[in-house]
Amino acid sequence: MSTGSNDTPALLDVSDVSKSFGAVQVLRSVSLQVGRGEVVAVIGPSGSGKTTLLRCVNFLESYDSGSIRIDGKEVGFRETGTRQRRGERDLAAMRAETGMVFQSFNLFPHLTAAGNIMLGLRKVRGKSEAEARSIAEHWLGRVGLAHKADSLPAELSGGQQQRVGIARAVAMEPKILLLDEITSALDPELVGEVLAVVRSLAEDGMTMLMVTHEMAFARDASSRIVFMADGCVNAVGPPKEILAAETTNERLRTFLARFRASHF
Amino acid sequence: MLTQIAYALPFLAQGFALTLWVSLLVVVLSLIAGVLLGVGLVYGPAPLRWAVRIFSDTIRGIPILVLMFFVYYGLPAIGLHLPSFWAAVLALTLFKTAQVVEYLRGAVGSIPKGQSEAAMAIGLTFRQRLAYVIFPQAFRRFLPPWINGVTDAVKGSALVSLLGITDLMQAINQVIGRTYEAMPLYILGAVIYFAVNYALSLASRRLERRFSFIRE
Repeated sequence: MSTGSNDTPALLDVSDVSKSFGAVQVLRSVSLQVGRGEVVAVIGPSGSGKTTLLRCVNFLESYDSGSIRIDGKEVGFRETGTRQRRGERDLAAMRAETGMVFQSFNLFPHLTAAGNIMLGLRKVRGKSEAEARSIAEHWLGRVGLAHKADSLPAELSGGQQQRVGIARAVAMEPKILLLDEITSALDPELVGEVLAVVRSLAEDGMTMLMVTHEMAFARDASSRIVFMADGCVNAVGPPKEILAAETTNERLRTFLARFRASHF
Repeated sequence: MLTQIAYALPFLAQGFALTLWVSLLVVVLSLIAGVLLGVGLVYGPAPLRWAVRIFSDTIRGIPILVLMFFVYYGLPAIGLHLPSFWAAVLALTLFKTAQVVEYLRGAVGSIPKGQSEAAMAIGLTFRQRLAYVIFPQAFRRFLPPWINGVTDAVKGSALVSLLGITDLMQAINQVIGRTYEAMPLYILGAVIYFAVNYALSLASRRLERRFSFIRE
């Protein structure tokens, strides 16, 4: 497992990325590597740029400078050195290499649980109806929802919807899975079932980059934690190091103290 | 009264067919143009958005009748001579297109941004996102005002009689010109228009029910 050092090329290589929304600079030359099979958690106060960073990785957001590479390939821009945005088809193909799970699930309400998973398999991966269906059923089984294949999202609980959201993302066999605060919109009693799915994916060796407020989960499931503040990567390290109460990093200590005060 | 109606019916049949033909042309052409322009208004680059916005606001601000006279009597001034039938169809289509643009904008705009993002995230192209994610959801919102617009188109087609085209309305007027019996004929005309539009709204109610399973 890579620890972000340069001995093996990282699967995800974010290098010197900056981005502004108007006058507000949300990312300030952020660099970050995620190795194959690694699980990296991004924590930090709201407004620190965590979610924006994640959305840049699959180019839901563009960025002003720097580069983001997955498996050595530039995600959003053509490899011509002119920072020319990729064309629509090209971009879609690149995005299919990453999976994303959203805070608000974003399931397609007009499709069943299986239909949600099958759409990308059919239209992007070009699989037959039967093949897509069997892959969808396999993943629904993995997330414990085999019996809900033909339910519409509106008929599922939040935790169930989010598990379908995860199944929809991983069924595409992405190189990396991006998780954007996936338990933040859930009732507390439903968080556990979703995290259990993420943990089992991690055990399978799925590469993941997750923005999370679940410190205990970040500690247990991730190999490294990235602490972001003010659009910068403020600290990176193994969970034990980052979440240590006696850290000398003032910014991190304040964040953790405030976090502990409000969550424990 | 029944004898007058029986006398008029054969004359009206041809006019009625023309009314249906004009309505169908206007509805189909405006649906195609309106959806394309509406997509341009919602997703297009700024210049296209402005162009569609100006088109839609201008057209909707002009009475259909003025628009129709403008196309028929005005355009020849710039060298565009349209036969009265096509001038009428063009004017009605322009008007309806502007409405369809607004229905589409409203319907597509009501779909949360997360739907597009989720569709992007699994690698769907723009067209695929529209076809499989956005339009199926927007359809339910689009349908009721659009069907209303279709009935408006049928009613509005009566204006083509003012360019001397023998639609149902004009046919009624011609029969009255011969018989001097206005009331039975106008009642008959009203009943025919009503029957068409009532059938349309029944059909739309069935369609809406079919798509009501989609909950937010």
